[in-house]
Amino acid sequence: MKIVVAYKWARNPQDAEVREDGTVDFGRSRAAVSEYDPVAFEVARRLADATGGEVIGLSVGDTSIGTSLARKAALSRGLDRLVLVADDALADADSTRLAAVLAAAVRTIEDVDLVIAGESSTDLAEGQVPLTLAAGLGWTGLAGICDVGVADEVVTVRRDLPDRRQTLLLDGPAVLSVTADAVVPRIPGMKEILAAAKKPVQVLDHASLDVTPVGAAGEASFEVLSTSRPADGTRRRVLIDGADPDTAAAGLVAALRTIGAM
Amino acid sequence: MVTPTNDPDFDVIVVGAGPAGATAAHRLASGGLSVVLIERAEVPGAKNLSGGVLYASVLEELFPGFADEAPIERRITRHVTTFLTADSAVSLDYSSHTLGHPVNGVTVLRARFDPWLVGKAEEAGALLMPGIRVDSLLTQAGPDGRRQVAGVRAGDEELRAPVVVAADGVNSFLARDAGLRRTPAPHHLAVGVKAVIRLDPGRIEDRFGVRPGEGAAHAIVGDCTQGIGGGGFLYTNQGSVSLGVVLRLDALQASGRSTSDVFEHCVRHPGLEPYLRDGEIIEYGAHLVAEGGYGMLGEIAGDGLVVAGEAAGLTINNGFTVRGMDLAVGSGIAAADGVAEAIGNGDVSAAGLAGYRRRLEESFVLKDLRTYARAPKWLERDRLYGAYGELSADVLRRVFSVGTSPHRPLRALARAALSDSRVRVRDLVSDGWSGVRAL
Repeated sequence: MKIVVAYKWARNPQDAEVREDGTVDFGRSRAAVSEYDPVAFEVARRLADATGGEVIGLSVGDTSIGTSLARKAALSRGLDRLVLVADDALADADSTRLAAVLAAAVRTIEDVDLVIAGESSTDLAEGQVPLTLAAGLGWTGLAGICDVGVADEVVTVRRDLPDRRQTLLLDGPAVLSVTADAVVPRIPGMKEILAAAKKPVQVLDHASLDVTPVGAAGEASFEVLSTSRPADGTRRRVLIDGADPDTAAAGLVAALRTIGAM
Repeated sequence: MVTPTNDPDFDVIVVGAGPAGATAAHRLASGGLSVVLIERAEVPGAKNLSGGVLYASVLEELFPGFADEAPIERRITRHVTTFLTADSAVSLDYSSHTLGHPVNGVTVLRARFDPWLVGKAEEAGALLMPGIRVDSLLTQAGPDGRRQVAGVRAGDEELRAPVVVAADGVNSFLARDAGLRRTPAPHHLAVGVKAVIRLDPGRIEDRFGVRPGEGAAHAIVGDCTQGIGGGGFLYTNQGSVSLGVVLRLDALQASGRSTSDVFEHCVRHPGLEPYLRDGEIIEYGAHLVAEGGYGMLGEIAGDGLVVAGEAAGLTINNGFTVRGMDLAVGSGIAAADGVAEAIGNGDVSAAGLAGYRRRLEESFVLKDLRTYARAPKWLERDRLYGAYGELSADVLRRVFSVGTSPHRPLRALARAALSDSRVRVRDLVSDGWSGVRAL
């Protein structure tokens, strides 16, 4: 079984800063494997080990995704080899564009059975790349997958939905978006980093890829009309002083009664 | 998973990807040895906090034109040393554009600078292994039956090499593990607290009186530490300033104050506030600092192990300049050459690695450390952190206060100020003479 894991080398929001106007400055933050993706590596590795298959990491983005730090960070997490499309022309690409380039890159890898990806990314967090990638490939796309199993070369996946838990049997290639808690991913050790440095990396030429834009008119079929600060939701901004436990407990009860929760 | 064998995985394991470790790894790999550089942080520099200026001539020798290539913040062309009291400041201010060319001191932010230096080591062929915390040294019986270092252990994994370079910072668990270093005495240790405060580059240049690309380094003693032995520093980065205090642990304990209270006092000090106004704190951290100077240097080589940088206690504080990173780079060079020589001779015992110590003795690192060997002891004199600042401020207040009563000559003003102060002439002479000898 040949499995591709699509992952992102993304800015880590831990060091990002929210400006006064609500926009986010990623300038001081460092890039890392997007936190949603190690779980995808782990699911793929276990599946490949169970079937004697191969796991290929795939990432597209600017040239920073090809540094030795970035390569080892991915390759030390259970991959057999890496395929990259590293081009600064992709620096500001939106997630629809990235999905189209991912699809073109997957097409260059022969006989892929499955593409697995994390359910979102730490930087853009639009959460649609796996399914847009499926559309680009003309494959089935399934989101919210929390378990992947295999028996006799037949892959079954499970998804937990609000009102039902389903197990599906896959017939044909598919793109799976796995939930953040599907498995506990490994933390790379010294031997894995050592081995990572020796694993093959193939860098594809962006310009010569056959990228088919996703969308009816040959371009992304939407435009961004406006962007503004996210709504604060229904936070009531009630602060309870915890210095005296009795007063704090009474305050909490009163606050819960006020909103009708008790 | 690789099956465990006793075959070495590398010629040399370097632990710690700071200036000492990265320099050693670069030099060893450049010489054709296989080198792994293990770093605790996921990205080099992420765990580092430096409170000073990088004196760059040793790096300039290693990487000619380095200041144009490396991500440095500003070239320091102005050095200010200030005695601060609660309501006054007495400064010695030296500025010269010649300090910028050829490059002398530069400010760096380690999160940007360390990855660059590590990149040099990687280009030379060293393998960076980030995100790994080394737990202990791996030892085995040598040919003569003595235990010798044979690698490192991290979690349940082992990595083997005939030589380990411990460049793991001030706490160096590896040097202690090998019995090369005792736990430092409190008066040889200080705690440094630093904040990075964002300021517009133009404002920095106006407030600190420097040109674009150039910067200032302020060393401050006195009320910024509330009289606690140690000092403050304030230096300019490109779009931020770094402000911090370094407090000697013994003096801090004796004062009964908390580090954060002293730092808060420093940030709000009227003598410093004009430099910082409207700035926004974007980073805050604390770090132990070795302050013992030459007196803190112990054994730096064992069987299969050398210790470099701050792990070896290589820092200088003479009151005017605080140095660590340049000494780290210098020791990284000496360690690499000593290790390469030992491997070439097939003898990595402490005796075989003695070339490291010899090279360090011959280099600027130990020469400078010896020059300032008496400085730490001198800097323990409490009067430096309170009484002298008050005395000099009082003299200058009398000099610059002009009223209608007749002005007295300067020597009379100074005598009057001295007799009013808590400083005795005997102390002044003693401290002055010791200071001259220490510096």
